[in-house]
Amino acid sequence: MRDTPLSNCERRFLLKAVEEKKRLDGRQTYDYRNIKITFGTDYGCCIVELGRTRVLCQVSCELVPPKDSRPTEGIMFFNLELSPMASPAFEPNRQSELLVMLNRQLERCLRNSKCIDTESLCVVSGEKVWQIRVDVHVLNHDGNLMDAASIAAISALSHFRRPDVAIQGRDITVFSPEERDPIPLSIYHMPICVSFAFFLQGSYLLVDPCEREERVKDGLLVIAMNKHREICSIQSSGGIMLLKDQVLRCSKIASVKVSEITELINKALENDRKIRKEGGKFGFAESMPKERITALKRDEAPVEMTDVQETASEIVNRTETPTEAVSSPVLVAMGTAQVGEGIVNSWGLDEDEEDEPQTEDTKTGSSNCKHTLYICSEKKKRKSTKPSKRK
Amino acid sequence: MAVEMRLPAVHKPISLAASQSNRDDKHLVVPGDVITSDTGFMRGHGTYMDEDRLTASVAGEVERVNKLICVRPLKTRYNGEVGDVVIGRITEVQQKRWKVETNSRLDSVLLLSSVNLPGGELRRRSAQDELAMRDYLQEGDLISAEVQSIFSDGALSLHTRSLKYGKLGQGVLVLVSPSIVKRQKTHFHNLPCGASIILGNNGYVWLYPTPGHQDEEAGGYYTSMEPVSLSDREVISRLRNCLLALAAHKVLLYDTSVLYCYEASLTHQIKDILKPEIIGRARCVTSRAQLACANMAVPATTNDYKKSAESYET
Repeated sequence: MRDTPLSNCERRFLLKAVEEKKRLDGRQTYDYRNIKITFGTDYGCCIVELGRTRVLCQVSCELVPPKDSRPTEGIMFFNLELSPMASPAFEPNRQSELLVMLNRQLERCLRNSKCIDTESLCVVSGEKVWQIRVDVHVLNHDGNLMDAASIAAISALSHFRRPDVAIQGRDITVFSPEERDPIPLSIYHMPICVSFAFFLQGSYLLVDPCEREERVKDGLLVIAMNKHREICSIQSSGGIMLLKDQVLRCSKIASVKVSEITELINKALENDRKIRKEGGKFGFAESMPKERITALKRDEAPVEMTDVQETASEIVNRTETPTEAVSSPVLVAMGTAQVGEGIVNSWGLDEDEEDEPQTEDTKTGSSNCKHTLYICSEKKKRKSTKPSKRK
Repeated sequence: MAVEMRLPAVHKPISLAASQSNRDDKHLVVPGDVITSDTGFMRGHGTYMDEDRLTASVAGEVERVNKLICVRPLKTRYNGEVGDVVIGRITEVQQKRWKVETNSRLDSVLLLSSVNLPGGELRRRSAQDELAMRDYLQEGDLISAEVQSIFSDGALSLHTRSLKYGKLGQGVLVLVSPSIVKRQKTHFHNLPCGASIILGNNGYVWLYPTPGHQDEEAGGYYTSMEPVSLSDREVISRLRNCLLALAAHKVLLYDTSVLYCYEASLTHQIKDILKPEIIGRARCVTSRAQLACANMAVPATTNDYKKSAESYET
């Protein structure tokens, strides 16, 4: 099913906002959204939430014969799937350009960077090696799938434990987790992808674009880096011309972001390890927020507060002195009320400013600001024969 | 600063006694409901055979034509009929056609031969016209068109061969479900409240300021970019909120129902219309007005329906 196309005014609004260095959710140009990493009860299962983008990664292993060209190395297999749960635009079993791009970038980031020691995965040279399979499922698409997928993959790989094996001659004994503790993979470094979206022919860039911003972008630059400031891969798509200093600036930003994200991953891994050691409850059931009707939890929305003082005093000086405060709130309907009236409607055009004072009388808004707060109780101001169910 | 408070309250279900009888005649099913165990019927769209029992696979109304049983879904993508007025957005500009997105399963097609040339000339489309396609309609433009025919795969073929169809200029697009737009003789209305409305059969409703003078020679090419006055904008905002309020209660949209809802909403501020309590109230007044008009032989004026609405008041 195709997504509803973006309307022209929405596109113009987004590009204008980018020009004015404003983002839809109030972030700064180089800010990431809230990253949350949670691990499941099994080793190697991890969910990463980047704002509203959710990605699940599961790592599993299997003993297989090695490749003929590399008899002493284990095999790494990466698979990323775009589930229709993530977005109505994704169809199951449909090879789209986005899917191919994500898969290729994930492989390049993790396989070509040699972050996992594949030689340690060898059990019997030429006969049996471990095949590590990394499955990434996208659960919700709100932009920047690449970063979320790479964070999920590397966290899951660091969390994963493979079963212990004992070799006696040609016999291999695989121990279950109850018999012997499973062994973690040997990971050299943690490569993480950082995405930069470019707008208006490369003049503006945003880090961690959300889904709306991604729709109007001109090009995308993905830099995979680890915390030792080593670049693992760079990919530029969209065909925009990038200047040398732009790429260098992006790599500097990426190194800062990558070290922060690596900190986060290590902290999450440490927490999980501690909880498991102490015998506490771990897994998704504990880390998912319980959405109960009695609990009200909302994410903090950053508010622009730079010149609040001057703007507020300006508005207060401009308005007339308010009349005596009216004690009762205005009952809009049963169960909702309004206290105070807003200030004058400033959503007018420049030419209509002279007409505004005349139309103000017909509108219900006035230029008074009332600052009294009352708790509204349900008052029936009109007669009704139906008895109320609330006290 | 205006502060709004809402207390948790039990939602009163809005039941209209007079229209209840209509509901009972309709055979509504949900997926999994057995329609009939009689094997003599032929299976149509929206049904499947589950061990000799005809079962519904979509939620909707059962339609029976002689021996054919099918289920017409309530919530569906737009299924076009020839002669429908639709509003669409251009998604692609291809060789001799435009691809238009109309909330249907497949993108509709607007052929170059189905649009009017600038100046209204009648001639064969040349290669020049093909190259100038993008000057007329680009990706992202909104158009109003009529369904000319349906291709074998179900895609609609549109045409804008009349002066009332063409590219849409300044206005507000409201997306509602295609099933609540009533099929009428005309879908273009100049509402007396001071705005105009195009009720597309595909669920796209376009609200725009009533044009001052008709530009006959332009033929849909010229879109006015003059600034719209504040009063017109307020009327259009109010209409848009009324449409959303009616759509929330699945009220059939046609010019009079929108008008009644607009008049019922005049007592509230524009931003208050979308509150659930106000929506319920507006819906009651609108349906009472509709019933009052249905029971009256002459078309009702605002005062008439208010009087009869009060008589319905318990």
